[in-house]
Amino acid sequence: MTTVARHVAVRRSRFSAGQAVRLIVLIAGLLLVLYPLAWVIGSSFKSDAEIASNISVLPTEFTPSHYTAGWNSFDVSFTRFFINSTVIALLTVVANGVSCLIAAYAFARLRFPARGFFFAIMIGTLLLPGDVLIIPQYIVFNTLGWIDTPLLPLIVPKALATEAFFVFLMVQFMRGIPRDLDEAATIDGCSPYGVFWHVILPLSRPALVTTAIFSFIWTWNDFFTQLVYLNELEDYTVPIALRLFIDSTGQSSLGAMFAMSVLSLVPVFLFFVAFQRMLVEGINTSGLKG
Amino acid sequence: MHPATHPENALSARSHRTPGYGRVLRGLAATAVALPLIFGAAACGNDDGGSSDPNAPVELSVFWWGDDSRAETTKKVLAAYHDAHPNVTFVSTFQGNQGYLDKLSTQAAGGNAPDIFQLDDNMLSELAERKVTLDLTPYVEDKSLDLTKFPESLAKYGVVEEKQAGVALAENTPGLIYNKTKLAELGVAEPATGITWEAFIAWAKDVSTKSGGRLPGTMDPSADYKALWVWLRQQGKEFYNGKELGFTAEDLTAWFELWKGARDSGATPTADVIHEGNSSDASKQLVVTGKAATSWVWSNQLSALSKSTKDQLGLMAYPGDPKGQWARASMYWSGSAKTKHPDVVADVINYFVNDAAAAKTLGIERGITPNLDLRKEVEATLTDVNQKTSLTFETEITPKFGAAPTPPPKGHAAVRTLLVTIAETVQYGKATPAQAAQDFITQAKSKLA
Amino acid sequence: MALTTASAQVVPEHPGRRSPAARKRRGSGSGRHREGVAGYVFLSPWLLGLMGITAIPMLLSLYLSFTDYSVFSTWEDVEWIGLENYVTMFTNDPSFVRSVLVTLVYALVMVPLKLAAALAVALLLNRAWRGVGLFRGLFYLPSLLGGSVALALVWSALFAGDGAVNEFLSFFGITGKAWVNDPDYALGTLIILGIWQFGAPMVIFLAGLKQVPVELYEAASVDGASPWRQFWHVTMPMLSPVLFFNLVLETIRGFQSFTSAFVISNGNGGPVDSTLLYTLYLYKRGFTEFDMGYASALAWVFLLAIGILTVVLFSTGRFWVHYADGEDR
Repeated sequence: MTTVARHVAVRRSRFSAGQAVRLIVLIAGLLLVLYPLAWVIGSSFKSDAEIASNISVLPTEFTPSHYTAGWNSFDVSFTRFFINSTVIALLTVVANGVSCLIAAYAFARLRFPARGFFFAIMIGTLLLPGDVLIIPQYIVFNTLGWIDTPLLPLIVPKALATEAFFVFLMVQFMRGIPRDLDEAATIDGCSPYGVFWHVILPLSRPALVTTAIFSFIWTWNDFFTQLVYLNELEDYTVPIALRLFIDSTGQSSLGAMFAMSVLSLVPVFLFFVAFQRMLVEGINTSGLKG
Repeated sequence: MHPATHPENALSARSHRTPGYGRVLRGLAATAVALPLIFGAAACGNDDGGSSDPNAPVELSVFWWGDDSRAETTKKVLAAYHDAHPNVTFVSTFQGNQGYLDKLSTQAAGGNAPDIFQLDDNMLSELAERKVTLDLTPYVEDKSLDLTKFPESLAKYGVVEEKQAGVALAENTPGLIYNKTKLAELGVAEPATGITWEAFIAWAKDVSTKSGGRLPGTMDPSADYKALWVWLRQQGKEFYNGKELGFTAEDLTAWFELWKGARDSGATPTADVIHEGNSSDASKQLVVTGKAATSWVWSNQLSALSKSTKDQLGLMAYPGDPKGQWARASMYWSGSAKTKHPDVVADVINYFVNDAAAAKTLGIERGITPNLDLRKEVEATLTDVNQKTSLTFETEITPKFGAAPTPPPKGHAAVRTLLVTIAETVQYGKATPAQAAQDFITQAKSKLA
Repeated sequence: MALTTASAQVVPEHPGRRSPAARKRRGSGSGRHREGVAGYVFLSPWLLGLMGITAIPMLLSLYLSFTDYSVFSTWEDVEWIGLENYVTMFTNDPSFVRSVLVTLVYALVMVPLKLAAALAVALLLNRAWRGVGLFRGLFYLPSLLGGSVALALVWSALFAGDGAVNEFLSFFGITGKAWVNDPDYALGTLIILGIWQFGAPMVIFLAGLKQVPVELYEAASVDGASPWRQFWHVTMPMLSPVLFFNLVLETIRGFQSFTSAFVISNGNGGPVDSTLLYTLYLYKRGFTEFDMGYASALAWVFLLAIGILTVVLFSTGRFWVHYADGEDR
């Protein structure tokens, strides 16, 4: 038994009353937090005639048909939209993870001319509201001839660490890694590249996992960028498809929209639960004792 | 902020005198802007040769907003056109209306506007005045794009600055939709087209009273530009006079007063419920959510709204003389000014509005068939009773229409949302009708400048 | 791995103080040169992205902010109008003033509460126990809903005059308002929505808590420190870089909030401009009124204002953020 496990075991027996309180607090919190989602699920089972007028959680008559009808609403079924979303999200995860980690290592650990200047610029790119960049960016991608290949404008920017949020996130995490580890490695003869590979990379798992989770979820939910660059129905992703149900000037299929919204939560939820597992075992118990 | 009407030449002159900073930025931006132009020009090099041969392959991009049923019919018509003209192929894109304009504008700004795209009268002038749309006038004049079977006002309602900027895909008229079932339960007679505004408000009050206040008689349309527009025309005014407002603060005060009276008398719901109804979403209309007996919508929405409620709905014109109405385009097809194949674009649009098979395929999902000759043929194919009601309504009101105004000018989108905000200040009691009207006029002027 | 086992014993006793080895290494000239080269090697993808993808659009938008550019203008029609957009904003635009006030209230109330909620839940869900993953997932669920259409419909249904919130309040004999449809309360419902979606900072806190060496807690326990003391003297200092990150980023994102207000108010910022957040106003000017030049000016004013705020946050960070790498920046 490691010291950690023993430590936890001791604590558990000592604070069992505290544990119970904690559980009650958590469950009460959950009920509060999940009520709106229960409402979405409830609404996905309401008939179209009921959905606008009945705003309670439960449907008066249970209508499961939105799930099948919604799935096949368009010439291309939701299977395709889910695949498209998954592909784009996974590519983004990889692109963001690699590129932001590399950039963050430079900012957090290496001393080079104009580091402070570039760091300020990096933070600066976070500050400008994105709406005014949509058109200029489109013009740039158009100039590069990328418009006809939607994956390029969607993925290449991520592979070039343009998501400053993640660079900054990783910088902050790396700065939490004791520098003495680098020193020890350097004394052992490691170059900056070696330090990155042997010290920083293994210890950056929490930051990488966090980045993966956010990259996946935010890409999954991103409507606007995908809307601008995807033109063919076969290329559409889930968020674009969900908005096809809504036509404010004509017929909206709200029931189908709710049903597909519920289903669209499933993959991201599973992705989250799978990846957060890596946050459970922190670096202290596994990362260093290899 | 249109360059032509720009008052502040002094400012721009001063900026030209400042060297350095501004010039560097300008140069930089100019380079970035010029790049696509250069690339674009290179790509367009061989156009002229292509268009002279009628059988040369042509690919057109088509873009619209709408749901799956609209996509299905539109694609079917495009496919039929392709069968008749095998050299013409289409790349069609459709999406929900949220984000439609954003994508269209982004593409247009990048010099990539689709060859054919769908618009409505809220944005037609916005694009036409900035020369994004193709001028279809020559094709209309030589009848290769034939609008002679259209109601005259409908054809004219696509003309901006003397150019045919859009061709109506369907016709539409503002319509009041009321809850037949609930009215029958309450024992209140259904209202009918031609009722005066005052009589209508009195009728609505009666509904409220008889329901014990549970069902207010009508939504308050004072934030709704189309209701205000019809009312103004009945007073001999217009919403717009060219590029300016066609009415005064006094007119607007009277309009706000009219509805303030209605609210105070209980004919309408309270301000917070009215706010829900001010959303343009069909599913939030109060007649559907059961929070009012009447909603101010469009004549072709009867079928869509009926699907969101179990009650039976009825349709009538907005109050007052139907002369205040005109044949409006619910949606247009417009071409891109940058298209390489303007002739084909015009021909495709012509096919959509004048071909009998196409008209039957399209049905009245976008609105009533614009071609009067084809309207009867389309009517025979309709099975949905609500769609039939919409079409009958349109047929009956068409002869009573007044002359068409010009489509709303550039800046209308801003004025329209401004009206919602300002009217709500009155509804919530945060401003008097007179104050609000004055605010509206002042702010609207700057939006239209 | 000899390397990592050896170094694992080196736990900094005083976070914030530089080790002797670090001080010594600073002097070495050739190592410094090698490090500088490596720095640019590692930075090169980011630099390429900056030059190729980020910088040009940003500078273009800066240029456009001095013009009367409208989305649909042809480039030849774009006219340089100098500072006019900026002058108008500060002298003759009530909506601008309104949106600044709305955003200030929104961000200043929402961000601290959201961070507090995220930290509290993260602390409760930090330790490993059976089912903790599910709990984390469930608490994250609201954030998964993002800014979807479904979200807008839920919120208006819950906070409408006849919605679930008022039904709940009526158990206690309270008659609620029409929250989401009342200009005095609509912003409040948006703030609640912002807090409700506390998943992102929660995950970052969780990841940060994992970085706190367990040895520190053990040492503190041996010294007999209470859990409360441990929180303030071990957890908080060690968590401070991550807390700092969350504070900076959530502040920026709070001021940039757009989607929820957009979907709930149908893009209008209503009722009566009560939810007209700054970026929503910017979007309205840019994409529904097509004044992209003016919208760009709004964006650059925003960048300046938030930039100043960020600098202030960074300078306060010197006093309370402790980096294990020994550099206080």
